[in-house]
Amino acid sequence: MSINIDSVSLNIKGVNIISDISFTMKPGELITILGPNGSGKSTLLRVISGDLLPTKGEVTIDNVPLSDMSFKTQALKRSVMSQSQQILYDYSVQEIVEMGWVDYSDTGGVELIKQKCIKAAKDCFVDHLLKRNFNTLSGGEQRRVHFARTLLQIDHQYDSIGNRYMFLDEPTANLDLLFELQLIRLLKAKAEKGIGVLLIIHDLNLASKFSDKIAILKKGKLSAFGEPLEVFKSKTLSDIFGLAMDVDLKTLKVTYY
Amino acid sequence: MSFFSGLTLGSYSVPILDIILGKLEPLQKTVLFQIRAPRVVLAGFVGASLALSGASLQGLFRNPLADPGLIGVSAGAALGATSIIVLSNHFVPEFLAGPFLLPIAAFAGAMLVIMLLFTLTKGFKSKGTTYMLLIGIAINSLSGVCIGFLTYISSDAELRSLTFWTMGSFGGVSWPLLVPAIILISFFLIWAIPSSRNLDLLQLGEIEAQRLGVNLKKLRFNIILSSAAIVGISVSLSGMIGFVGLVVPHLARLIGGVNHSYLLISSAIAGSSLMIVADLIARTFVQPAEMPVGLITSAIGSPFFLYLIISSKKL
Repeated sequence: MSINIDSVSLNIKGVNIISDISFTMKPGELITILGPNGSGKSTLLRVISGDLLPTKGEVTIDNVPLSDMSFKTQALKRSVMSQSQQILYDYSVQEIVEMGWVDYSDTGGVELIKQKCIKAAKDCFVDHLLKRNFNTLSGGEQRRVHFARTLLQIDHQYDSIGNRYMFLDEPTANLDLLFELQLIRLLKAKAEKGIGVLLIIHDLNLASKFSDKIAILKKGKLSAFGEPLEVFKSKTLSDIFGLAMDVDLKTLKVTYY
Repeated sequence: MSFFSGLTLGSYSVPILDIILGKLEPLQKTVLFQIRAPRVVLAGFVGASLALSGASLQGLFRNPLADPGLIGVSAGAALGATSIIVLSNHFVPEFLAGPFLLPIAAFAGAMLVIMLLFTLTKGFKSKGTTYMLLIGIAINSLSGVCIGFLTYISSDAELRSLTFWTMGSFGGVSWPLLVPAIILISFFLIWAIPSSRNLDLLQLGEIEAQRLGVNLKKLRFNIILSSAAIVGISVSLSGMIGFVGLVVPHLARLIGGVNHSYLLISSAIAGSSLMIVADLIARTFVQPAEMPVGLITSAIGSPFFLYLIISSKKL
């Protein structure tokens, strides 16, 4: 039972965006993907989310290949958060969060959805905004609302669906320091409850502190994968990011200026 | 309300009290059941069709200016009808001519456009919605050219009926023509409504919707096909009626919010009552003659449309 990424490559118009990437994520693990801009992090996440079909290789979730999974099963198994688009019509925050509820005709009924929606909103500190018009919120508030929607998506009643996962592409963009930390802590708590969390962030120190494992991409290839202690070496990081970096071996704090 | 006033008022008035009490003269009966009732029913269904397809297309294309005319279906129907009006005197054998010919030709024109859309997008599967929109624009201008040419070669009498048809009217409809149309329209109206939740999810973006379990191909297929069918049938019976599909969904949003499970149904209801009223105005304003109903909806719709564009912050 795990997410298995098996020698996945994606080639678009002759350019290898990602090549031959393999690793495994177990439920309950928090794995961070690091790497410079253009290293293929987001593309990898989109392949794992089923948005893009790999040219070679395969992604399986709990032993089922993604290509054999219906959109709905995928939606119940994992939620995805990425940079969102502008929303045209004036939905309320509550309506946006409730969009995370995949099977609207579910037996739980309207009351259950409402309860879970409020709980997710509370977890993301947006419960006071539920009645507001989504389009009038600030960028950071909108991110938190989308995050609440992502939480609600895997908080459903289908026990038969088994393990659940969350994939997040820079969820902390636009967030202030406090909310950034709160969000990562929340993800950590979810991981401890058995949810597999795969996450792209840029902050090396947050990554080393909270991740169970770290995957570092460079030019579309997986150049390091393992526990923070194995991966965070001054030489490895300096090579990958093209910047002199110093790692404190005790605290794993990274200094680069 | 509008249904009953639509029934009773007109060049020849039938008091509502008499209907309820069943005290109708034979002439009143004829006017009521053979002329006025089919007309009001048709106006209601056409209004509901245009408004519902407007609402669902605005959702599907995530564009507040989308309209049933946009995907080229109305233009296809118009081309079919125009061809018959102008060419039937020369080419169609006598025994085929009749009241059914025009609507059938218009419907065929609409279906032709749907099939063209279907083939070009490989069953609504390939490419994005923008691609489909651009194809609609191309189809629109292509039929514009053909209609323009037909208008150019038409005689004076043909030109007159052409102009009248282009502006839309509910007059002259009879039950045998209406009943199959109503059955088809009801079928496709009901078919469109279960997509409303997916239309909401689509507002997050196409990829986001797919990640939430929406089958985009199926959603596009359902919305385009049902819209095209109800609009094609409506246009074939009543001619071109502008702005209802565009304006009514916006009115419904202003009144009760943007959620599609509410929006589709409320647009249909609002569209149908507005259309009955517009038709009522059309045939009572200049008694005993009547104005084309499309003129009335456009007269109300275009200023509203202008207001919409000017006040829109997102354009």
